[in-house]
Formats: sequence, C-alpha cells, structure tokens
Amino acid sequence: MKARNRLALASLTASAALAVAFLVPTTTASAHGTMSDPASRVYTCKQEGPENPKSDACKAAVAAGGTQAFYDWNEVSLLDAGGRHRQIIPDGKLCSAGRDKYRGLDLQRADWPAKRISAGSLTVTYHASAPHSNSNFEFYITRQGWSPTQPLRWSDLVHLQTFNNQNPTTFTNWTLNIPQRTGRHIIYSIWQRVVGSAEAFYTCSDVDFGGGTTPPPTTQPTPPPTTTTTTTPPPSGTWAAGTTYQIGNRVTYNGVNYECQQGHTAIAGWEPPNTPALWRRL
Amino acid sequence: MRLLLILLAFVVSGCAAQPDTTLRGDPLDVMFLQMMIPHHQQGVEMVALAKDRAQDDELRMLAAAIESTQASEAGTMRGWLTSWGEPLTAPPDSHTGHGGMRRSDPEEVGRLSALRGEEFDRRLLNVMIAHQDDAVQMARWEAGSGAHREVKDLADRIERSRTAQIGMMKKFLDRA
Repeated sequence: MKARNRLALASLTASAALAVAFLVPTTTASAHGTMSDPASRVYTCKQEGPENPKSDACKAAVAAGGTQAFYDWNEVSLLDAGGRHRQIIPDGKLCSAGRDKYRGLDLQRADWPAKRISAGSLTVTYHASAPHSNSNFEFYITRQGWSPTQPLRWSDLVHLQTFNNQNPTTFTNWTLNIPQRTGRHIIYSIWQRVVGSAEAFYTCSDVDFGGGTTPPPTTQPTPPPTTTTTTTPPPSGTWAAGTTYQIGNRVTYNGVNYECQQGHTAIAGWEPPNTPALWRRL
Repeated sequence: MRLLLILLAFVVSGCAAQPDTTLRGDPLDVMFLQMMIPHHQQGVEMVALAKDRAQDDELRMLAAAIESTQASEAGTMRGWLTSWGEPLTAPPDSHTGHGGMRRSDPEEVGRLSALRGEEFDRRLLNVMIAHQDDAVQMARWEAGSGAHREVKDLADRIERSRTAQIGMMKKFLDRA
C-alpha cells in the first residue's frame, strides 16, 4: 500500500488534469441505464411509480419482489459479467439478470405493458443516467412461437444487431431491423461495458405485433408450503449451518470451542471464528 | 484547498490513475471498502428498525444478527483503510466510472419506520433482499479481482452469508 501511495502522490501533478477530466462527467451521474423505448419492464414500473404502480403486471412485480428494484431501475446489471452472460444468468431469469433484487421482472405474464410495433425498421432508445464510453450494445428478439407465459430462455433469443465501440449519451438511439412476428414478444438488450469495468446491463422490453391469441389470465404457481425445521442443538457439538443457537450454546469449529453470544440461525459465511459478534472463543 | 483534497483522495484511491482499465488489485480493495462501509451502515439502520416493529420472531432474530455482524465487519473495514492511510469515504460519485455506489435509497428508512407488523415484515424482507443482493454483487467483484488476502476473504464471506440470508428471507416472505 505504502509504495503505491507514494507513487500516486508523485504522479499527482501529472494526473491532476486527467483527474479533473474524469471528475467532471461523473459528478452529475449516479448510476447507469435501461431501455426507455420500447420501455423495459423496470422502466415501465419505475415510470408508473414504485409505490403505486398502475398496471396489473407492475403491481404483481412489486408484490413479488418489493419496490427497491424500481427505485434502482438503472442497475439491472452484473458487476463482473465480462461477456459471460449465458454462463452466469440462468434460463428463466434473463429479465432480472439472475438477481433476487429484480426477481419481479421475471414474472411470466401476458399483460406486461407492451409497445405496439411491426416488422421493419424500429428506432429504439436507451436511457443512460451514467453513460459509459466505449460500450457494446447487443439486441435480440424472441423467436416466433415464444409466449410470454413461458420462461424466457437464452435459446428463445434471436440476434438482431450488435453495435460495438459505442459512446452513449443520456438518450441514445439505434435503428433495428425487426423481423415478422405475431403476438407478444420481448426485445432483449445487453450493454457490456468495455472500459473501466466488466459490468453489463440487461433489459426486457415487451412489444406486441398484434394478431396473437390472448392467453387465459396467468395464475402464478403457488410455491409449496415451506416447513421450517428448527434443529435443537445438542448441548455441545460441531457448529452446523441451519442450526438455531441460543445464547450460551457451545460448539466446536475446527477443533476450537466457542460460546454463542447472540441468538441466531447459523449460515455459511457466519462461521464462529469470523463472527465475534455471534461467538466468543473459549 | 478543498479541491486539492478531493483530487488527492481521488488519485490515492486509484481511480484517476487508470480510468481506462478494469479496476483490480489494491485500488479495487480500497474502492470496495469505501463502498461497503456506507452500504453496511445503511443495512444496519434498516434492520435495527425490526426490534420494535417486526411481527415475526425469526425475522427479529435474523435482523439482530445482521445488525451486529455488519457493525463488526464495518469496524474491521474501517481499520484496514485507516492502517493503509486511505480515506474512509470516497469523494461523491468518484467511483461511478467503475460501477457506482450501490446505496439503497436513504428515504427507505423513513418509509420502513412508518410501518408495523406484517406490513413492516414484508417491506423489510424485500428491501433487505435487494440490499444484500447489491452486497453480493460488490463482494463477487472484490473476491475475484482484489489484492489483499484478508479483504478477499471478507468479500467471500459476505458473498456466502448474504446469499444464505437472501435464501432465509425468501422463505420468510413465502410464509408471510
């Protein structure tokens, strides 16, 4: 650390101009972006208002995952993506980027507010609250025959166009050539940053070509009732994730004895040597 | 003078030195800690509300354990930055170019404070799932690309414990 600091201090003068140049564009920005036209699901619900959404789909998304996703509408992203989208986002979770925070966006419904479009050229707009220079934008559309009541899988996406080395502004337009489709579809985009970060952003925009059949109202599958198993810890034993410990319970972990300082259910990452707030070494 | 201090903090924190490369190593350690300390603090403020407001006993127990473990982690993180002679907080928005400050809406504490019982439980669970999901994002980056063993180990524990907490909280929501 010390050596690096000295180096940084020595280069302060040289870096000052660069630092100023870097500071200026970032001071007004706080985050990133999403598709505004056709509006992505997160943008639609953010525009409706996270606390009082109007459409049934946004109401359901808030009920399923809370409001925070829609305050943070411009961060449906993975910080360490680095182009590995298909490896790190599971099928069925493409709209949330596999993130629990955004799980409301994955709801399989045929009533997400959708823009009416048709085959031919379509101008799309990306709203970037923090435009990052030198970025790649990929656009996809769901295959003919896909239905919004099915999970969205990577294999459902047909590549439309990719625009590399883009320098987006706050609102950036691209023109896509849209193929023939009927009914409801999703335009999916991936914004992969190339400079400064491996972060990538993902968007699902619902569009409607018309002519589709209206599927019956979707019923959300009710999850099976979860049975909570409360394990009664032995008076002494080996620490185990999933066990609920009370103050005074004693465990061994890697041959060392600990006493519980605060009641909690043990989880991975809260092993006794690393959580002095929960465990006292004996 | 204030501008000079800001610039100094900025350069020392490593952002300006290499604006064109993906942040990794020592500067990532510093940024991670500077981002996580306020993030932890916000989490602590939100879960602390559970003591007087939550209806579910298991949620109250989890909230209290999150409160004390995160306060303890924040102390460790401040200690590292101090021992390295680094500022505890980064200049506002200086990290935006590398992924931004993932901070929950400060107004959320106010919205949560107004609720009681089941309504409070549901909102706290959803907000904390989102909050810890952000923590997982930051921790994954640090664990993969940081420099110091102890910081990367903490990031790994943050990733695992927050993932487990999210799993528990989703179960609590299902039965709420």
